[in-house]
This record gives sequence, structure tokens and C-alpha cells, in this order.
Amino acid sequence: MGDKTDVWQGTLALMILKTLETMGPQHGYGLARRIEQTSGDLLQLNYGTLYPALLKLEQEGYVRSEWGFSDNNRKAKFYELTKSGQKQVRRATADWEQTTEILSRFLTPAEEA
Amino acid sequence: MKALRAMWMRLRRGGRHDDEFDAELQSHVAMAVENGKRQGLDEQEARRRALVQLGGTEQVRQAYRERAGIWWMQDFVRDLRFAGRSMMRNPGVTVLAVLTLAVGIASTTTVFTWIDAVSLQLLSGVANPSQLASVVSVAADGTWITSSYPDYKDFRDHLKLLDGIAVTRPAAFSVGSEEHSDRVWGELVSGNFFSVLEVKPEAGRLFLPAEYGDAVGQYPVAVISDQYWRTHFGADPHVIGSTIRINQRPLTVVGVADPAFHGSIPATAFDLWVPYMQQPMLNGVQDWMLRDRHTRNMLAIARVKKEATFAQAAQELKTLADRMAVANADVSEGMSATLLPLSQSPFGPQALLAGPLRILMGVSVLVLLIVCANVANLLMARATAREKEFTARMALGARRGRVARQVLTECMTLTLLGTGLGLAVLPLSSRALTLLMPPGAWKTVTSLNIRPDLPVMVFTAGLCVLVAALAGVLPVLHVTRLNLSSRLNDGGRSGSAGRRHNRTRSVLVASEVALALVTLVGAGLFARSFAQTLHVDSGFDPNHVLVSQLYLSTNGYNLAQRKEFCRRLEQQMQSAPGVEGLAYADGVPLGYEPSWWEELKIEGYAPQPDENMNVFRNVISPGYLPLLKIPIVDGRNFTEQDNEKAPAVMIVNETFAKRYFADGKALGHKVHGWGTWFRIVGVAKDSKYHYLNEKPTPYFYVNFRQLYREDMSLSIYVRTHGDPNGILSTLRRQARSVDPNVTVYDAQPMTEAIGASLYPQKLAASLMTVMGSIAILLAGVGLYSVMAYWVAQRTKEIGVRMALGARPRHVLGLVIGRGLAVTAAGVAGGIALALLLTRSIAAFSFANFGGGQHPMLLARTSMDPLIYAAAAIFLCSIALVACWLPARRAAHINPTDALRME
Repeated sequence: MGDKTDVWQGTLALMILKTLETMGPQHGYGLARRIEQTSGDLLQLNYGTLYPALLKLEQEGYVRSEWGFSDNNRKAKFYELTKSGQKQVRRATADWEQTTEILSRFLTPAEEA
Repeated sequence: MKALRAMWMRLRRGGRHDDEFDAELQSHVAMAVENGKRQGLDEQEARRRALVQLGGTEQVRQAYRERAGIWWMQDFVRDLRFAGRSMMRNPGVTVLAVLTLAVGIASTTTVFTWIDAVSLQLLSGVANPSQLASVVSVAADGTWITSSYPDYKDFRDHLKLLDGIAVTRPAAFSVGSEEHSDRVWGELVSGNFFSVLEVKPEAGRLFLPAEYGDAVGQYPVAVISDQYWRTHFGADPHVIGSTIRINQRPLTVVGVADPAFHGSIPATAFDLWVPYMQQPMLNGVQDWMLRDRHTRNMLAIARVKKEATFAQAAQELKTLADRMAVANADVSEGMSATLLPLSQSPFGPQALLAGPLRILMGVSVLVLLIVCANVANLLMARATAREKEFTARMALGARRGRVARQVLTECMTLTLLGTGLGLAVLPLSSRALTLLMPPGAWKTVTSLNIRPDLPVMVFTAGLCVLVAALAGVLPVLHVTRLNLSSRLNDGGRSGSAGRRHNRTRSVLVASEVALALVTLVGAGLFARSFAQTLHVDSGFDPNHVLVSQLYLSTNGYNLAQRKEFCRRLEQQMQSAPGVEGLAYADGVPLGYEPSWWEELKIEGYAPQPDENMNVFRNVISPGYLPLLKIPIVDGRNFTEQDNEKAPAVMIVNETFAKRYFADGKALGHKVHGWGTWFRIVGVAKDSKYHYLNEKPTPYFYVNFRQLYREDMSLSIYVRTHGDPNGILSTLRRQARSVDPNVTVYDAQPMTEAIGASLYPQKLAASLMTVMGSIAILLAGVGLYSVMAYWVAQRTKEIGVRMALGARPRHVLGLVIGRGLAVTAAGVAGGIALALLLTRSIAAFSFANFGGGQHPMLLARTSMDPLIYAAAAIFLCSIALVACWLPARRAAHINPTDALRME
């Protein structure tokens, strides 16, 4: 447990969007589990933080929600990407890749020019 | 866009969120529990793990609510309700804090509103008022004096950095026929007056360039104020172009001035403007006086060119005035001139109020600081007392920010209540300024535009809010940084945080005491110096004397007719019942109106090269000196035989005799003034002429019959046996029997007329006393609240002490000793501060015109040890009472109760 990483500021939204893109409509609990699994259990995710984040995305119009039934026939609220959500995934992914790319240049030893 | 959309969603969905989210959470937990059970956990353990993983339902709910929209509104309403409840639980503290805030805010904003009305507002109804300046002549000894018409012409024709310069002389006029005339205050102005001020006409026109000239009596025109037009002519447009009788002479009304324009003197309102050059027709002033550099009876007002600075224009003016002083050395030797902003003009009512108000401003800042310290104290005490409550809330999961927000809401509610109350009284208290206006003729023309000073209101209210917020919230943040369980267990028993707060609060109270001491010392110094001035012997007897003004020139009287009127009035009055004597003179000693002087040549006295030979004088009837009981110490008084045909005679005062004659014997010497030689026939005892606290001044009297000029005033003195007001009807009746059209104006007992000269001092003393009382009250309340709180906090400790054998008087000593230690520290600091401040206030002169001296608001030295001692002792006794009440309570604590209490 000790060496699990906290979720970095601002990355949770992208994780949610990306997960929804891959998995399609999903409820909160499912999303939380999936994110934890994807991270290879390296991430210390407080499930509770997912809901305000989902709400924010909904307010911003990237996701929409609907009540439905889970695999076990339990009533649950399902979240789904909207059109602008799909665009946002691409944009955010590109941004993030660029960021990590820049950062990695700092972290890996520079090649002689 | 995104933000807007989010906002919209928040608002739209605000209400439904709670229930829906609860369902969502429930389903989340149910799924997690199911999942746990599948992994072989029992129901209870699975639920526990699910909740841990979630991070607590209440916390998630709160985080969700915060995201969901109008949570803060709901919280706010909840906090507000809570604030109301907790304020009701402690009504004493609440009322105290609200009242303290109200007093602080009301007093500060009132004072600033007054200052704004008196000296900050620019002239209204004129274009670009900030370019306007007052042109003031400077006498050889540095006194600011008024200007003469020839000086004005030189300034007008030679100054390049001015867009124009105009002159004005306030005067009373009678408007209407002889049978129905009103007295109207107006200004005699140079023709270019309106063009220099850039006033627009409301109707008709203002003076034309053709009417700007210096030709005497060529411009029989007048402009009236909008107000006068509406009240007296019903805003009838046909008045324009018609002829009205002013001082019994026909003048044509050419126009009505802009409604916003009330004349050129701040804080006054005039109704009539007449060209200066009409004076020979209107009040019999002779042509030569308009060409006389000695006849300094006008105020000059200039418009500085846009491209020039004030300093440049002032420099140009000074250069010119210095040159004029050389060119006209016979009359203006050593004189100069300067430019002042209109609001700093030494003439007019604002000049008398400016000094006291500036001091008042300083004091009101002190009071505001005391208020802040007081409120901080009260709120800190409350916050500290509630440490346990906050700790409990945090233990139940509240975040620091949330608790702080709730306390903040409470503080804001308190502050806003206080601010609202303070501002509610503002309209009333700012009106009180009219009560402060100096008595006399100025009072009739006073017009104040009292407007609430928004920036000051915002500033004071903002300061109070800030203080309240800091005082309320800082203790909370401090509490919340501590370890929760230790706080809860400790139970506020010894109060480690308490000690720290106590120190802060002691410092606050000490500074309150210091500030109160400063105001108290200030009030004491002003009151004492005022009282001392009152006890100065004026050298004449103003009791049972009625002083009033006659404006005979407004009845169309020429000089000979005026003298004849006075002679007949005196005759009539001699035989009237109740009249002991009647006299008349140009001026009133110690009165509000400026005093006049004459440049003298004295036979046998060689003045120093730069000596100011302008000596103050009065023009009196023979009855004047006996009526005022000013003894003749040598020679004789004026008699009826000293008439127009007899040789000119003069009476001088003792200081005059000592100063100008080597042997001190003045009788028989000749003195030259007004172009003639006078012979000194008498020496009168010194009296006070301009201010009660002036030094002995050379002064002389000439005979009304031998030297009375058209531009002089006429004051009538009547001495009676009883109440001077009782004789007014007799005076009126007798004056009417001489001429039914003559009205007696501004009648008042001489004791009041001379009160005007004490006015700034009296004002400063009484205002300081009011502010001082407020300060003491606030400091006392502060001290009491701190001590009461301290005792309440130490109840248990005191109980233990008493259980161990401490006597009530030990407890009493303990509490009072502590209170007095704080007080003593405050007193010491206050004395140091007061010494520093009063030294700078002592340099304050309250007037700088005609009087020839610069009388000080504080007559005595700022070091008066008696006042400091009295203030310190007084504050200490207040402190003693403030400590004694809680101390007594402490001493009567029943040890068993105290120990059981938790």
C-alpha cells in the first residue's frame, strides 16, 4: 500500500474520459475499479473523488448521465461521452503527450548534438 | 463559454442534486459491498471497506454539493441562521460590538462629510473649478489681506499665466421699492466675473465684455441667482430686461445665473451680482476710493491657464506684486501676493472651520482605531471561548475552511449590522454641521452642500469588516492547526492558546487606552486653553449691550444723510425708557468681521526701514468709549464739538503711546492718515480688539463725524439695564420714527457678537470633548470586556486558589493588578504619543487674516503636566471600575462550584 501514488491534480478527468472512450457507458463504481485496474493498482484512488469530477465533466458538457441497470440488475447511473467529450479526449491526450514528452527530455540524459 | 454553461447547469440542477446523488451513492456502496462479499468477506467488513475506499459518505456528499452549484447559498443561509442564533445567545457581546462599530463608523464618516462640505468641494456652477485660485495680498509682516481695485487692474493687465482675474466684494443690498424691500446678500463684482468663472446663464445673459470696463457708474445692470428668480419672481422670463430697484437705484436685470452657481465664496450662497463700478450710485462709495490702493476691501479670484501650473502662476504673480510694492512704495511697501486654492482662502466661513475640522479629522481616525481594537477584542474573545465548539466540529469531519467560513459569516453579519446602523444616522449627524457654522452675517449666507462621502464610507466600513474578519477568523485557524484530540481532552482547562490570545488582547487594550489618553489629553488641552481665553479681561464691558447693524446706504442715503440719521437716532434713544446710552462705530471689537487699519505717519517717530506702519483703528461716536466702559487714562474723550469743521482729533491706546513716543506721552502729538493730520487728544486704556489672546496691540480711534466714509459699516451699540434683547423693540421703533424705511439687522447681545472671535477655539474644544468622551467610553468597554473574559476563563484557577486558602481580597488584587498593569502600559504609551502629537497641533493657527496676528488654537504649551496627569488618573479610575466589576465576581466565586464547573 505504501508506495501507491496519489492522483495528480487534473489528471483524473482525463483518466475518466479515456476510460469512458475505451469502455463505453459505465457507472461510477465501475469507472473507479477500471481506473484502479488500468493503473496496475499503482494508484491510490479515493472513489469518492470520482463523483465531483464526473459532475464537473457533465457540467462542462463532456459527458452525459442516465439511469440504467448494471450487470447484476442493480439501478445505477451510467456516464457516457458526448461529442465534445470525444474531441476533448483527443485534445487532452495530445496535450498530455506533449507535456510528458517535454518533461522526459529533462529527465533523460541529453544526447550530444 | 464553458464556464457559463457550467454555471447554468449548476443553477438549473441545484435542487435535485441531493436526492439523486444519494441514490447514486447508495448504488455505488451496494455494488462495492456485493463485490466484497464475492471475495469472501462478511457483510459488515465488506461495507466497512467500501466506505473506507469511498472516503466517507458525508465528505463525498459535501464535495459533490460544493461542485453542484448553489451549495454556498445554502451554506450561507445556514450560517446566517446559525450566526443569528449564536448572536442571540450572547446578546451583550452582540449589542456591544454592533454599537461600537456604529459609533466608529458614524463619527468618522460624519467628520469626513463635514470636511468635504466645508473645504473639499470645488465651486459649483463654474467650468473647470480646479483651475480657480484665490489671489491674496501679503502684508509686510506676512499676514494675508484683501486686495484693492488698482492692485486688481495691475494683476489683470500684466499677468500672462492667468486666463483672467476677477474681484468680488460681498455686500448686503436692499431690493424693491422703499415700502417693500428685502435685504439680499450679493456680490459687487468686476465685469469679467462670470467670464473668469465660466458661469453659464440659466436665462438671459451675464455681463458683456462692454460691461467689463473701469468706468464708474456706467453699467446699471444686475444678474440674479436662479433661486432668487424662482422664489421672488416665480421664474418669470419677463423679469429679464426689466428694471428692479436695488438700494433705491434702478438696475436692469440682464440674466439669471446657472442654478448650480451660488457665488465665488465656498460654503455660501449669494443671490445678486452687480458690477463693482456701480458702487458710487449704490452705496455712495466715492470715485477716488476705487482708485485708492489703500481701500483694500475686495477678494480676488483668478483662473490659471491650462498650460501653466499653480506654482508658475504664483511665481509670476509674486514677481509682479514685488515690483508693484516698489513702484507704489508709498502705500504698498514690503507687500507681496500669492495664489491659494479657493478652499484655502483665508476669507469666508470655511476659513474659521478648517482648523478645528482638520484636528477633528485626526481625532476621528483615533476613534476609529479604538473601535477596531475594541471589535477585534470582542470577537477574539468570542472565538477563543468557542475553541471547543470548533474542535468538536472538526472532529466530526468539518474542514478548516468550512469552520472559518461560518465564523466569517458571523463576523460579517455583526459588522454589517453595525455599519448599517452607523450609516443610518449619517444624514442626521452630517446636518449637524449647520450648527457649527460661525454666527454673524456669514450665517445668513451659509449654504452647505452636504453629500455622503462614498469613498470614506466604503473605506471605514471596509476597514471594520477587515478587522472583524481577521479578529474572528485568525483564532479559528489557530485552533484548527492544533492537534484535535489534545484540544478536546485539554478542555480549555489551562488554555495554552488562551495565553497567547490573552497577550494579543492585552496589547490591543493597552493601545486602546493609549489612544483614549491621546484624545483625552487633546480634549483637555483645548478645553483648558479655551477656558483660559475666556478669563482674559477684554478691557471693555460687553454685558447689557445690544449690537446691531444698519445698512443705510441700501436706503439710498448719502454720507451726510447717514450722519444725520445717526445723530437723530441717538437723540431719540437718549430719552427712550431703559436705554442707558447709544453709540455707533464702524467696527465691533472681537467681532467676526475683519478689522481695518490705516497707514500712519507719526510726528517725531522714525519708522524702521521695513516697519509696518499700518495701525488698526475704529471710527467711533463720542459715546462709544463710555458705553463700553473703556477708561480714558489721559487727556479727553471726543465731544460733540469735534465736528466736521473742528480740527481733526484722535484717541490712541496705551500701547500706541508707549510704542511710538519715547516718553510715553502721546497728548498733543500729530499723526497723519487719510491725507490729513490728526492731533492726539486722549489716551484710552488698552483693550482686546481681534482675539482675546492677542498681545497688546497699538490701536487708535477717530471721530465718526470727522472721518466716516461711504464704504464703512455702521454698528449701533445700545446699553441697557437689563436683558439687551429686551431693548431691540425700542431700537426698532425709534429707528422707524426717524425713517420708516430703515430696518435694524443682525441684532444680538454683544456678549454673543464677541463670542464669534472665540469661535474656532470654542468649536475645537467642544468637538474634542465629544470625541474624547466617545474614546473613553470605548476604551472602558474594551477594558471591561477583556477583564470580564479573563476572569471567566480563570474561574477554575481562582476556585483552586480559594480552596487552597486565598482570601477574596487576594483574588481582587490579582484581577485588578492585572488590569491596571495593562492600563499603565497603555497610559505610558499614550503620554508619549500625546506629547508628540500635541506639539504638532500646537503649531496650528486658526486664522490668518486681517487680525495681524496668528492666534493659536492652543493658547498654552502642549506640555501642561496637569492635563496629562488628570487624563492619566481619569483613565486609570475608569480602568479600575472596569476591572473591579469582574474582580468582585471572581472574589465571590464559590470554590466548590468553580471546581465542579466544566
